[in-house]
Amino acid sequence: MSYKQASYDEPFIGELRSGTTYKIPGKVEEKVLDDLPAGSGREKLPLPEVAEYDVVRHFTRLSQMNYSVDIGMYPLGSCTMKFNPKFADRISTFEGFSEIHPLQPEKSVQGSLKIMYELQEYLKDLSDMDGITLQPLAGAHGEYTGILIIRKYHEDRGELDKRTEIIIPDSAHGTNPASAAMGGFDVVEIPSSDKGTVDLEALKAALSNKTAAFMITNPNTLGIFEDQITEIARLVHDAGALLYYDGANFNAIMGITSPGLMGFDIVHFNLHKTFATPHGGGGPGSGPVAVKEHLKDFLPVPTVSRDGDIYFLDYSHPKSIGRVAAYYGSFNMMLRAWSYITYHGSDGLKENTINAVLNANYLARKLSGKFKIPYKALKKHELVLSTENTGKRALDLAKYLIDHGIHAPTVYFPLIVHEDMMIEPTETVSKADLDQYADVLIKGLNIDDAELKSMPKNLSVSRIDEVKAAKDLKVKWDLE
Amino acid sequence: MSVNQEHKEMLDFLQINEKSELFSDVPNNVRKKDLKINRGISEFELLEEARRYSMMNQGPGMINFLGNGLYDRVIPTSVDSLLGRTEFLTSYTPYQAEMSQGVLQSLFEYQSLMCQLTGMDVTNSSMYDGYSALGEAVRMAHRINEKAEVLLPETIYNTKLEVIKSYLAGLSIKLIFYKINMETGHIDLEDLKNRINDNTCAIVCEQPNGLGIIDENVFSLHEIKKNAILIAYVDPVSLGILKEPGAYGADIVVAEGQQLGIHRSFGGPLLGILSFKNEYIRRSPGRIIGESVDSNGKRAFVMTLQTREQHIRRAKAMSNICTNQALMAIAAASYLSIVGAEGLKKVATLTYQNSKKLKGALLKSGKLSDNQLTGKSFSDLLVSFSTPVEKLQDKLYDRGILGGVPLSRFLSHGKGEVIPNSFFFSVTEKTNESDINQLIGALEVIS
Repeated sequence: MSYKQASYDEPFIGELRSGTTYKIPGKVEEKVLDDLPAGSGREKLPLPEVAEYDVVRHFTRLSQMNYSVDIGMYPLGSCTMKFNPKFADRISTFEGFSEIHPLQPEKSVQGSLKIMYELQEYLKDLSDMDGITLQPLAGAHGEYTGILIIRKYHEDRGELDKRTEIIIPDSAHGTNPASAAMGGFDVVEIPSSDKGTVDLEALKAALSNKTAAFMITNPNTLGIFEDQITEIARLVHDAGALLYYDGANFNAIMGITSPGLMGFDIVHFNLHKTFATPHGGGGPGSGPVAVKEHLKDFLPVPTVSRDGDIYFLDYSHPKSIGRVAAYYGSFNMMLRAWSYITYHGSDGLKENTINAVLNANYLARKLSGKFKIPYKALKKHELVLSTENTGKRALDLAKYLIDHGIHAPTVYFPLIVHEDMMIEPTETVSKADLDQYADVLIKGLNIDDAELKSMPKNLSVSRIDEVKAAKDLKVKWDLE
Repeated sequence: MSVNQEHKEMLDFLQINEKSELFSDVPNNVRKKDLKINRGISEFELLEEARRYSMMNQGPGMINFLGNGLYDRVIPTSVDSLLGRTEFLTSYTPYQAEMSQGVLQSLFEYQSLMCQLTGMDVTNSSMYDGYSALGEAVRMAHRINEKAEVLLPETIYNTKLEVIKSYLAGLSIKLIFYKINMETGHIDLEDLKNRINDNTCAIVCEQPNGLGIIDENVFSLHEIKKNAILIAYVDPVSLGILKEPGAYGADIVVAEGQQLGIHRSFGGPLLGILSFKNEYIRRSPGRIIGESVDSNGKRAFVMTLQTREQHIRRAKAMSNICTNQALMAIAAASYLSIVGAEGLKKVATLTYQNSKKLKGALLKSGKLSDNQLTGKSFSDLLVSFSTPVEKLQDKLYDRGILGGVPLSRFLSHGKGEVIPNSFFFSVTEKTNESDINQLIGALEVIS
């Protein structure tokens, strides 16, 4: 297929010189700044002076040098890049939602609180958990909130001093060990079994009265369902530890099973993955955290509660960990997730899960003759293949894919598979998309290495020197 | 070909009969039976329902004096329009740099603009919000010098303090509060000086501070800070007229960026701005975009210094942050580009002008006590009434006015009662004389 991305030699916005045209209302009176404290005034403010039309053209041209999920398939593993519905964009611009200050009286924000309350109920229903906070601002922020709850739980039982370890499988997302370490825990990594799942013997050996929690995602990052999850939960609980669910892969099971049924104590959701809120080139996200009954008292404050038809901010969590964010969380993302769930409903959500899994398995089978796809054949939402058997490097094939106008999978993760590609198609791609993806990827195997290494050629830039970026460390422009 | 036919072909290819076989690995004892969530509805019905909910909120069109961190500022329509560009809105983190130059250059420009605004060497490509960025800044300071005592102003908002404490949960750091002079509203320099010692990790200062005052003593903290890291939490709009932290010796600068083109949306998404000196870059959290060249020598951008981050360094990462607020950073970059230096200066000057006008009108109303802070306010004007007023915010709301949040709501951990009967009224460039007159009129009746 032929593809060409727009390619501009776009200058920095600070290099444009058309002069500011935007009008700020109001009249500045003379000498108004004269009574500022001595020495507090700014001498020089070196910001751009560019006409509004030039700013719009500049960023529009930049945007044309960027792929997005509205352009095509974006199968980054564990990122769940599904179609972001346009109705959510529209709803998020309703003035009654966007122009609301978080410190307004509760009676003036009943609509927002009702959205939050209903989203809380939705997520509890989907996860079979008992209490929830919408405050965390991203998945990793949710993990850290979970870690704080784990700390508080053990502290409350007088065991925090001794429960210093958190166990994490070697296939885990990097945020898991990072969050645990940030919360002051020692990270104990356990190897996966030859089936690609948690090695029960390794888990048993790692568990002790020093264990504070075990953090896993299910299905795991290999796209494989941990079918011994009930046994895992029993082992963890018998050791006096808590079981944490990383919800990055929740799109694989929503409506089919749930963290609550599997025995998890704490779960975070990624609204920007499972619930289709747009990822904005890296954020914002939203990472609500739900817990079982015995941990509800530790949730951050406030949550949203209801007294009849009146919704209110509830600060009555006696042993709360406190706060993790300035206000109540990323409301605009909650609103979009609420819209997504309300639109799809119980029937649509389950259907989406099933189709996401169908797509991943279909693509896995399409690629299985050509690439090594380690571990169990039955996948959930994603598959991990290795290019090692083909003699090609995963990085080169990734650059080849993007040169053909389709986004590459996650590469070199999880760390336990060499030269790997982690592919998550999601439910919002067609069979034709999947066929094309497989065809292009397989055709790449016939291209010689020198040619692959010369790619990409059809994008706004060719392959970038990452070493130079780290060595020279130029992280802002030189303009005055 | 209908979807069902397509799925049939896929199932045939997989040699299975039913989609349910795809879940044969999920044990029966953990199978979900039913959902309480209603069945799906059409887009039309959804939009109607969402609109009904939005109408249950009040706020747009009311007279607004709410602020204390988030403000109702002019947002150029072009900012919203650019954020709606689908290539920005619906792209992921730029892992494939060659395909994502648009987001990367935009974020590089954000970093550059923020360095210009703050006078600092480096700005990362965004944090979640101002408060969590401050928590990360304190952790960063601790990584830099491994010292144990962090000095904070006693007038720091309780919510901000709670977020900082959350970020420090795993570390042995002692928080110590230094005094603010309750007549001027400025830092008590003698008190602060006495608390600085060899164990001091960082000094957190605020500009304007928790009382809304432009603190003239912040500018001289570099003279007394010794080896401590100076962390300045600033109002980014105020930097249109106030000296930039880079010019008064700040090591790390933190700000809440909502005012730079982002709607308040009941408190999120926001934008955490984190800037610092060059020498600390390898100890810093978050993503950083760097300039490089492609194989043809053309200027190109990539995420750099990723070895600090969780996906590479795992348990030894500088922070667990992954998803950030990239889109909000693009909002701030386009906002600053559109309003420009003159525009930002005007916004800041009008804000200062309006806070003086409001203070004058309130003093004239005869409702205030004789003891008011002598320092100058920026956006958040704190005034003290001569008699107690119960539920001022609710009473004003009933008269179509938002504002009048009591100081005690922000300072319940300490000094909340030092200035009795005190309330905040916040202004922006949008505040006009009619707003002020109506507030005075309402206060005549209710206080």
